[in-house]
Amino acid sequence: MNNTLTRRTLMGAAVTASIFAAGAVSAQETFKVGAINPYSGPLALYGNEVTRGYELAADAINENGGVLGKTVEIVKGNATNPQEGISAVEQLATRDNVDVLIGTYLSSVAGAASETALNYNKLYWDTNALASVLTERGLPNFVRSGPYSVSFAQVSVDLILDSLAGKLGKAPSDLKVWIEHEESVYGSSIAEYQKEQLEEAGVQVLGVGAHSYKSIDLTDSVLRAKDAEPDIWLQTGYVPDSNLLLRTAENQRFDPPVKVFVGTGDTNETLEALGEEGVEGLLVVSYPRPDVSEEFGPGSDAYLEAYRAKFDQDPVAPQSMAAFVGMKIMAETVNEAGNADPAAVAEALPKMEKPEGTYETGFGVDFNDNKQNVRAHPTVIQWQGGNQVTVFPEVAAQGSQMLGIGN
Amino acid sequence: MLSFLNIVIVGLLLGGIYGLVSMGLNLIFGVIRIVNFSQGELVMLGMYGAYLSWFFLGLDPYLSSIIVVPLLFLLGVVLQRFILQPLQNEPFMQIFATFGLLMFFQNLVLAITGGTGYSVRSAASSAVITMGEINVSLPRLIVLIAVIVVALGLNWFVTHTMPGKAVRAVTQDRRSARLMGINVELAFMLTFGAGAALAGLAGVMLAPIYTLSPQIGGNFILAAFAVVVLGGLGSVWGAFFGGFIIGLVEAFAGYYFDPALKHAIWFLIFIIVLIVRPGGLFGIAGAEEMGLREQD
Repeated sequence: MNNTLTRRTLMGAAVTASIFAAGAVSAQETFKVGAINPYSGPLALYGNEVTRGYELAADAINENGGVLGKTVEIVKGNATNPQEGISAVEQLATRDNVDVLIGTYLSSVAGAASETALNYNKLYWDTNALASVLTERGLPNFVRSGPYSVSFAQVSVDLILDSLAGKLGKAPSDLKVWIEHEESVYGSSIAEYQKEQLEEAGVQVLGVGAHSYKSIDLTDSVLRAKDAEPDIWLQTGYVPDSNLLLRTAENQRFDPPVKVFVGTGDTNETLEALGEEGVEGLLVVSYPRPDVSEEFGPGSDAYLEAYRAKFDQDPVAPQSMAAFVGMKIMAETVNEAGNADPAAVAEALPKMEKPEGTYETGFGVDFNDNKQNVRAHPTVIQWQGGNQVTVFPEVAAQGSQMLGIGN
Repeated sequence: MLSFLNIVIVGLLLGGIYGLVSMGLNLIFGVIRIVNFSQGELVMLGMYGAYLSWFFLGLDPYLSSIIVVPLLFLLGVVLQRFILQPLQNEPFMQIFATFGLLMFFQNLVLAITGGTGYSVRSAASSAVITMGEINVSLPRLIVLIAVIVVALGLNWFVTHTMPGKAVRAVTQDRRSARLMGINVELAFMLTFGAGAALAGLAGVMLAPIYTLSPQIGGNFILAAFAVVVLGGLGSVWGAFFGGFIIGLVEAFAGYYFDPALKHAIWFLIFIIVLIVRPGGLFGIAGAEEMGLREQD
């Protein structure tokens, strides 16, 4: 018994010493970025996609001298839920001794992980989480460079008021909208904002329907919307419910003049489910895609080429380009601050101001008091002949037109 | 009136889905007295089976049942023989084992697919039968027909064939059945196989309707448990009518009240039935206790 304990203790000490030694050496040579995302579980596809954006950004940053003169290295931290997010941050902050943390595909993970990061006084730079509460907390180490739920809701409202009303030949007060959303805080918060903004502009919101994204049947939701006869059917949800809604609408012959989906509906998962005809004309508010014009997102073409060269395929989802841009802004801010200390970075944020159209996604930089970048907006695609074509805002659209709407 | 009729049809079609998924679960529970938590995952495997048959062999998902259903039957036999049979005298351990199978199948498919949602389209996927204002989706109608055929077939099997009668004998009293020369273990293997095959059939029939994900089985199974308890534990017609009751309640509650409340409403009914008639509407009184009783 004594022998075993002694051997274990020795082995433990040796392992600990080697980890610390490795940490000390690499910390001198590299700038370590801990990437918190789901790399297992049902959302692994998207977690990996976001981190591909960081990897591409690391390549670009290293080509230009790195961060604080050091080579950027990405260390992955797997987190499929808040509890794993906490463990991942603890590991990355102690075992891997990362300089900053970046993430996150999941808002719930971002919330817990960033609070844990604060205990270690590490900067938590978010590029992809959407919940508005994350920046509203005013956490001293939390910065968000990408769009958030309000930006998605706002762009869907802008699309309706600035573009669709005109194409349908209606004044906002004659326009009838049905808002549908999945029932968690993600869908509800976006739907609430849409309703408020649309009603303020005089649009008739005929009804707001909520459903679970795990629903086996959504015929009731579709029939309620169909009975209301809206001009625009506005839905916020995840992939399974969005696909089922589209299928059910097809079966129930519900074909409103315009269908606008927020957040999902722009990937091959929806194209495969509905077929080319089934998605034709559908508008989706989503992260900017590499097909945006060079005027809107300078460097977007080069980004697509770099992605194809490194991963030998087209981007799986548009989230990676927002992650790519977010990490670049992080590197620039840390360089400006002179170190990665959250307080120093927060102080440097106001100096980073850049106009919209600076980065590949069309983002600019303007951090508000809650350290939310308010110059990061989603764009809108339309399915045309089986392809996702950016159609809104006009400057991003490269001259592409919305098809099949109004005249 | 028209919308009322439409909702009745929507509810019946949905009831068909619930009934089909519940049929295998109820068969396994009724005969072997195991609450099979992995039944939803067997449905999920059936769905992916339809996808693979379409992807590699170009088979229409409905035709793939000739491959998927026998394979799931074999899988069920193997699971019963090598995992559940050794735990035969430990009912709690059997429940944990089925839970382990749930995690295993889910994570196995997850590891292979990487979480991408797949879809399989049949020639019938978009077909709709329109009668005035009422639209009936063909894939859902096929599910409804399937559940009627399965319920009639299963009922005929247990009442008119010798193996069916043996299964009923085992259900009623294992010890006496064994004394009459019935091979109880074989009956269990065939029953679990049949339950898994029914899950496979449900998976194949449902594949053209949904986007496939490793977790999709879980979406069905919660409702299936409610159907089985409501309709009657171990009763073929219990699962059949239980499915329609839940389907109709869901359709009416969703359309006339609020889609966000529909699950709360049928769970309320489920709890009331559990309190008032624990054996279910069509079940034998006391059936719910059998799983924990000494059987051999």
